[in-house]
Amino acid sequence: MTGYRGSASRRSIVKGALAAGISLPAMSAFLTACGSKTSSSGAVKIPSPDNPVTWPLSKANQAIAAGQTPKAGSTLRIYNYADYLSPRVLKDFEAKYGVKIRLSTFNDADEALTKVASKDLKFDLYFPSYDSLGKLIGADLLRPLTHDYLTNYDNLWPSFHDPWYDRGARYTVPYTIYTTGIGWRTDMVDADIAGMDNPYDVLWDTKYAGNMAILDDWHTAMSMVLLRNGIDDINTTSTKDLDLIRTQILDLRSTMRPKVTISMYTDMPAGQYGLAQFWSGDAINTPYYLPKNVDPSVMRYWFPSDGKGEIDNDLVVCLAQGENPVAAHFFMNEILDNDVAGKNFGFTGYQPPLNKFTPSTLVSQGYLPKTLQTAVVEPQDFKVGFPLLQLPAASDTAWHQVWQEFKAGG
Amino acid sequence: MAEADDRRRPPGSRLIWPLLALPGTVWLALLFVAPLYVVVAILFGGTDPILREPVPVWNPLDWDFTQFTYVWDHIVGSRPFFRPALVRTVVYVTIATLGCLLIAYPVAYFTARFAGRWKGVLLAALIAPFWISYMMRMLAWVNLLQTDGLVNRALSAGGLFDVHVDWLQGHAATVVLGLMYGYVPYMILPLYAGLDRAPVRMLEAARDLGASRWETFRRVTWPLSRSAVVVSLLVTALPMLGDYFTNDLLSGSPSTSMIGNLINNSVLTPGQTGQAGAFVLIILVVSVIPMVLYVRSTRSGADLMS
Amino acid sequence: MTNPVAWYRNPWRKPWVLGAVTVGYLLWSLLPVAVAVLFSFNAGRSRVTWQGFSMRWYYGDPLRSVWHDSSLHTALTHTLWLGVLATVITIPLGVAMALGLDRWRGRVPAGANLAVLMSFVLPEILIAVSLLFVATVLVSPLELGTSGQVAGLVTFQLSYPVVIVRARLLTIGRDYEEAAVDLGASPFGAVWRVLLKMLLPAIFASAVLVFADVIDDFIIVRYLSGDSTTEPVSVKVYNTARAAPTPALNALTTLLLVASLLAVSLGFLAFRVLTRGEKNAAGLDVFTGEA
Repeated sequence: MTGYRGSASRRSIVKGALAAGISLPAMSAFLTACGSKTSSSGAVKIPSPDNPVTWPLSKANQAIAAGQTPKAGSTLRIYNYADYLSPRVLKDFEAKYGVKIRLSTFNDADEALTKVASKDLKFDLYFPSYDSLGKLIGADLLRPLTHDYLTNYDNLWPSFHDPWYDRGARYTVPYTIYTTGIGWRTDMVDADIAGMDNPYDVLWDTKYAGNMAILDDWHTAMSMVLLRNGIDDINTTSTKDLDLIRTQILDLRSTMRPKVTISMYTDMPAGQYGLAQFWSGDAINTPYYLPKNVDPSVMRYWFPSDGKGEIDNDLVVCLAQGENPVAAHFFMNEILDNDVAGKNFGFTGYQPPLNKFTPSTLVSQGYLPKTLQTAVVEPQDFKVGFPLLQLPAASDTAWHQVWQEFKAGG
Repeated sequence: MAEADDRRRPPGSRLIWPLLALPGTVWLALLFVAPLYVVVAILFGGTDPILREPVPVWNPLDWDFTQFTYVWDHIVGSRPFFRPALVRTVVYVTIATLGCLLIAYPVAYFTARFAGRWKGVLLAALIAPFWISYMMRMLAWVNLLQTDGLVNRALSAGGLFDVHVDWLQGHAATVVLGLMYGYVPYMILPLYAGLDRAPVRMLEAARDLGASRWETFRRVTWPLSRSAVVVSLLVTALPMLGDYFTNDLLSGSPSTSMIGNLINNSVLTPGQTGQAGAFVLIILVVSVIPMVLYVRSTRSGADLMS
Repeated sequence: MTNPVAWYRNPWRKPWVLGAVTVGYLLWSLLPVAVAVLFSFNAGRSRVTWQGFSMRWYYGDPLRSVWHDSSLHTALTHTLWLGVLATVITIPLGVAMALGLDRWRGRVPAGANLAVLMSFVLPEILIAVSLLFVATVLVSPLELGTSGQVAGLVTFQLSYPVVIVRARLLTIGRDYEEAAVDLGASPFGAVWRVLLKMLLPAIFASAVLVFADVIDDFIIVRYLSGDSTTEPVSVKVYNTARAAPTPALNALTTLLLVASLLAVSLGFLAFRVLTRGEKNAAGLDVFTGEA
């Protein structure tokens, strides 16, 4: 009995496999017709400060008509990084317009792009950076903006009214500005990092092995290696530069045992490590998370004094898949309001590019201690700093492969 | 015998069994078996040029082996940077499973044989971790293991020493202990079930005949519990293979990454989704082998198969 | 007993070592959870330093407590809803499959058996990734969100009732059924009125196991989650623990703990009431597949 049962199951597997093999070509034709979801065409333009781009207006996604108000009781779906929008700002908006806000968060920009591209989730607002703008517009995921709703637009710095990555501001509104540098605690790290010849070297100093972290973002982390070596083109396509990055970042992994994360703003105040690659907004945010018995002046941030470091701004875009574009426009306008932006800044630590927020006012109004003044971004920084741009496809793949090798552990 | 009874039954009565089994069978076929082919089609497929999302290729004749070759080359080729993670997975899972066994066996044995009137309470306490969320238990440990957390404070013995170990900074030991903590409840129940079944008379007989505790264990208890041990080892080790979140929570460092992390890092990264399919297939193959071996070696396995 | 060597060699002495190991294990297993529950009542923002007792994180804090933060209490309700949905679908499907596969002979059921065994043995991440591909890459009725999550959960859990009920069927044998048929019942009636009653402990045990497993699930529900309204507690904890967690997270997990404890206790009480006086009435043994 057992033998019969055993052989029947073996035979059934083989027969089933044969049947599957024979019918597969037929099935494949059917499935190709059923099709996959993503279908995009056309070349991708890559904007840069030397090569500004005016995006074509989408034919499929029309801008909404002016003069509408958000429908009370409707839902506004926002997709953003965790801890990147003040809960107070959201609650105030809900109360003011009677709209319910549903905030979903992501930890990783690549992952977010995949979810947005699937269009299932119908987000209204998304907070990317300009390095994915080409892909978003190429895949026709964005809705052109109706500027009639953006009455607070003049609050923005003049240099952001007509940005190089979106001439005419057809699709984007700037959200926050920040630099990427090095943050440390003076009570855990005794080096004078700001005074060093090449402060980036401290991230490879084995004295701090096991006591440091780098940012879990492939482009940000790998560009830091280039800047350490005096290479200014952080969007390089050169394979020689990429090999250099690979060697040094793998060396970092094995000698320094870094934590790879984006939670520096809570980890360092909690004393998990004393030295890390830092975003300026996170640095400004750290005093909030320090325990009561620790003096906020232990937190320090360094960025090149000549301004030649990584500098970026995040954006807000209106996704075409969303079902509440009117409320989306009202929200975009709301965060351009000086008071609301101030509240948001108080929570996130990330500076809004609004005229009212200058370095002196930020310190004098108590938004940040004097020791973190280096974390403030000024308009002229954008003239000399290096933004993280979108890379051409082949180069992007090569960079991602190095990052994959890094994250696979050694 | 069965055939004689069948002739007495009304016609059409034999349809009831296939009808009962059909919904479940169709469900598994559509949602378990067929999606495995989708994984294969994506692994051997291409990527969309703009968003680099995966594009599946259904016809085996059109399959593109680039993604598979890329993964394979980086496991066995000249720059095998995926291999350390695979080796680490095997090492961590083996150590964690054996560690679980060392803890689970005495506990299960005690509960089965010596618990007496406390048996119900003990069983309830042992079952408790099943409905305490795994994440809650891991979160509890993350809080305790923080540099300013209770573990360091307890080890500092109230100021006698100054212990400031960074438990969460990429230590393999933390990850293995975390795996053990998370999965040991899965091992205790099957072990308990098996040990509970062991005839007490044999043990008492061995003792009466003068065997020492160790001899009794080695020559009577252990052989009787062997099949339960094998089942519990499988039930504990196999889920560990796909685990990535224990490593993410207890160690932010790439130096402790497992195959689950390789999958998690690539599955939603544009351009690397197909590679996730390759790792998934590796796990499939590795899991199926012990299962096949187990099924061939035990009668109960054969009964289950038919 | 005064001679320590004799004491050590005595095969009938009390098992102090084993007992100590068991108690030690229970403490190691449950104390961290107790500490986490304790800190959910912390008055301050810290999860490691006690700053006084407060219900702030449950309902007090107007922005970040579980009551006021919609992402937190939605996670709780969504988890319980997934638990109920998945259990309600899995148990009938699984029990029917167990009954059918036990009696049906042929190549299709052999294949089905193989599929059940594989889904029981293979790591969850396989099902999660394959269904993620189906949901995102194919045009299919499967979507990210509750429908995708339930589909994945049922697929993963289906093998539990099948395995548990079949084990019990082997023990029961066919005598009762055949007796019922001899006494005039239809085959369907024999199953419904006789067999199912005898299988009740196994069905109940698998329902509790499936429910507990579903509300604890992480890998499948994370990959198949849509926006924040379809994030269960496990995903919320994972996302927040790697950012800036507050004791509200401890409060959320404590509430889930209480909810699942209530569910399991209610179910167990119901089971005791239903099988009162019957030979099959069993204690906690039923969870180990023994009853």
